[in-house]
Formats: sequence, structure tokens, C-alpha cells
Amino acid sequence: MNLTVVKNATCTFCGCVCDDIELHADGERITETKGACILGQAWFKNHTAERLYPDALIDGREATVDEAVEAAAEFLHAADMPLVYGLSNVTCEAQRQAVYLAELIGGVIDSHTSL
Amino acid sequence: MSCTLGEVKNRADLIIYWGGNPAECHPRHFTKYTIMQKGKYVPNGRKGRTMVLVDIRETPSAKAADLFLQVRPAKDFETLTILRALIKGRRVDAAAVAETGLTLEQLEDLAHRMKTCRFGVLFFGMGLSMTRGKHMNSAAALTLAAELNAFTKFVTMPMRGHGNVTGADVVMRYTTAYPFGVSLSRGYPRFNPGEFSTIDLLVRGDVDATLVLGADPGATMPQPAIDHLARTPTIVLDPKVTHSSRLARVHITTAATGITAPGTVYRMDEVPLPLRPPLSGPYPSDEDVLKRIVAAVKRKPAWEPAGV
Repeated sequence: MNLTVVKNATCTFCGCVCDDIELHADGERITETKGACILGQAWFKNHTAERLYPDALIDGREATVDEAVEAAAEFLHAADMPLVYGLSNVTCEAQRQAVYLAELIGGVIDSHTSL
Repeated sequence: MSCTLGEVKNRADLIIYWGGNPAECHPRHFTKYTIMQKGKYVPNGRKGRTMVLVDIRETPSAKAADLFLQVRPAKDFETLTILRALIKGRRVDAAAVAETGLTLEQLEDLAHRMKTCRFGVLFFGMGLSMTRGKHMNSAAALTLAAELNAFTKFVTMPMRGHGNVTGADVVMRYTTAYPFGVSLSRGYPRFNPGEFSTIDLLVRGDVDATLVLGADPGATMPQPAIDHLARTPTIVLDPKVTHSSRLARVHITTAATGITAPGTVYRMDEVPLPLRPPLSGPYPSDEDVLKRIVAAVKRKPAWEPAGV
């Protein structure tokens, strides 16, 4: 088991986005979270590199990512008024793609800010 | 008017939290950015700062405060408006003061502290912005802070919850000019909260397909909104199979932001920070999946706004 140490790691649990956390990982899970608060600790230790979920689901049945991507594109393209919603726990790079997609399909884009 | 958390650390001698509980919701806010730090112009750290907490109940954050003001529920707008009057030296109606649950002495003392501090900051939480009055409450807080700049330097900052919700505001602002609730259905951006905000759209049944990412509305939204998500095709991208995934037609598992996926996120003061993921997982990133959906949509006939 090779241990990796990441210094000045960034926590994305809350809006503080603390970027001074030292993470120790064993390739599969995070074993130590130096400097993280109780919420950050739970956040980092709650996610692993394991394959715990199917790659994709279509109507509850397991599918490949390619099939799911096609199905998603079909639904969004066929809709008259599609909505892209959320965007809070994804990167800015993903948010840019989401805006682009919303423009392509002529939809509405919205985040948690509107709640 | 806002500033970075670095400026708060180095300059603020009056720190007000209104309708928020950072001790439990943003545990390192006090120690990393605000009251506990020694700053360039606040060399004595905690001793050089005054911390005021305004809330409807005495939360654990009150222990950290020099002054706790318990305002009556749903009277935030009234309290902020009375403070605006007091700051300008106007007389206020005793009955209006009584309604807030605070005394005139408490409010005059707070107004005095606000006017005489060197650098004041008002952090407001969802207890202000999401309760009765909603955006009018936020507007009252912003106006109060703006008016205080006639006397001293005063800024406000919302206490943002989820990791990169600030980034969503920033990215939508620089791509569409508006921060949230943007319709592109006419081929150009239109902004109208209430019309293009998600809960309103879903409850009215205005949308006929939804792509959800970085959120779990199936667990958090009002039932009529959830019902509409189940009634129409919903697509979920998430590192876990969530409540929303269970009512969706399509779920795609993606890498966890900052843990197995790299990228950039914005802190609540709009400072962008790079992620340093410690693990590499089996799932593609949200960005990657979105690019593939974009490519798949592009292979279909182009959409044109009605009437063009």
C-alpha cells in the first residue's frame, strides 16, 4: 500500500474552502485529515476511490456511461424547456460546460443560490 | 461592497454575524479568517476585535461573541431598518423597537459600534436571507453596510454554504451576466428570480426535463417540486446514487470534487482556489461527462429559439 501525502489540499465541504489541509491517502481511502474541521473530516473520509456504485443507471438498470450519455442527450434535446440545476458541488470547469450545455439546448440554468 | 477574508483578518475590528451559526456550520471561520487571528492592523488578535452575533436563538456561536442580540423571529428587516435610521440620527418609534425583541439601548449601542469601528464586516447567513422577507432582508443588510461607509469602512459578505456555490455565481456571471436563474430559451440570457428559479419552475411544472449535478433536490426540495422531477425525465450526475438518482431516468456516477476530481473552486469571498485531489477513482469527472453530453447533443439537429 503506497501512502500519498498531499499538503495544502483544498476542502470543498462548506463555503470556507480551507486550502491548508494535509491529507494522507493509501490509494483507496483518505486515512488522515490534518487541519480539517469536523465537517471536513467527515467529507474527506466519506469518499473513497472504490467502485461502490454502477457506472450509470437508465430507468434503474445498469448501463454504460456511453449509453447514459446518449439517453441524457436525447431527453435534453427533445425537451421544450429543459433545466440545468445544482452546480454547487462541482468545479468551475464543470460549471462552464453546464452553462454551454444549457445554451445549446435552450434551457434554464440555476444553482442553489435561488433557493 | 465586499472584500476578501484576508482583508477581514488583517483589518476588521468589528465582526457581526447575522442569522448564521458559524461555530457549527463553518467551524474554521472564526479561527482561520475572522476573530481569532492576529492581523496586520489588528495586532492584538481577539482582544482587538469585537464580535456581535444577531440571531433568533442562542446557538453555540454565541459563546464566541462579545455581544449576543436575540432578535424576534421574522423581524430582521425591521431591525436592520431601525439600525439604518439610528445611524442617521433619526428618532425611531418605540412600538417599532419593541417589535424587534431588542431594546433601544441595545440597538443604539450596536449602531454606535458600527459607526465608530475602523473596519466593520457583516456576515449574513441563511437565517437572514432565507427567512421571511428573503431577498428584501439581504437588500436591507447591503444597504445598511453601504450607508455606513459615510462614517467608516464597512463591508458585507454572505456565509455561503455548499462548497462551490460561489463559483456557480461567478461562472454564470461571467458567461451570461447574471448569477443564477438564467433562461437561455430565447437564445440570449434573461434573468428573473421567481420565474426562472428552480423551485418555482418545478412547482409550476414549467420544465419538461432536468439535468441535476452537484445537488440532491430529491432530498431537499418541497414535495411538489420532487413530484415534478419524478414525472418528467431527470438526469443526475453525482458521485453517489442519491435520492434524486432514484427518481431519475438517467444517473451517471462521477468523480468526487476535490477527492478524485481536480479543478477550481471559489471561496465565499470569491477567491478561486485549485483542488489537490489525493485519490484517483474509477469514475469520470462531471466536466468530462458534460463534455460528452454536449458532443452528443451537437450530433443532433441544432435547436433554434421559437420565432427565429
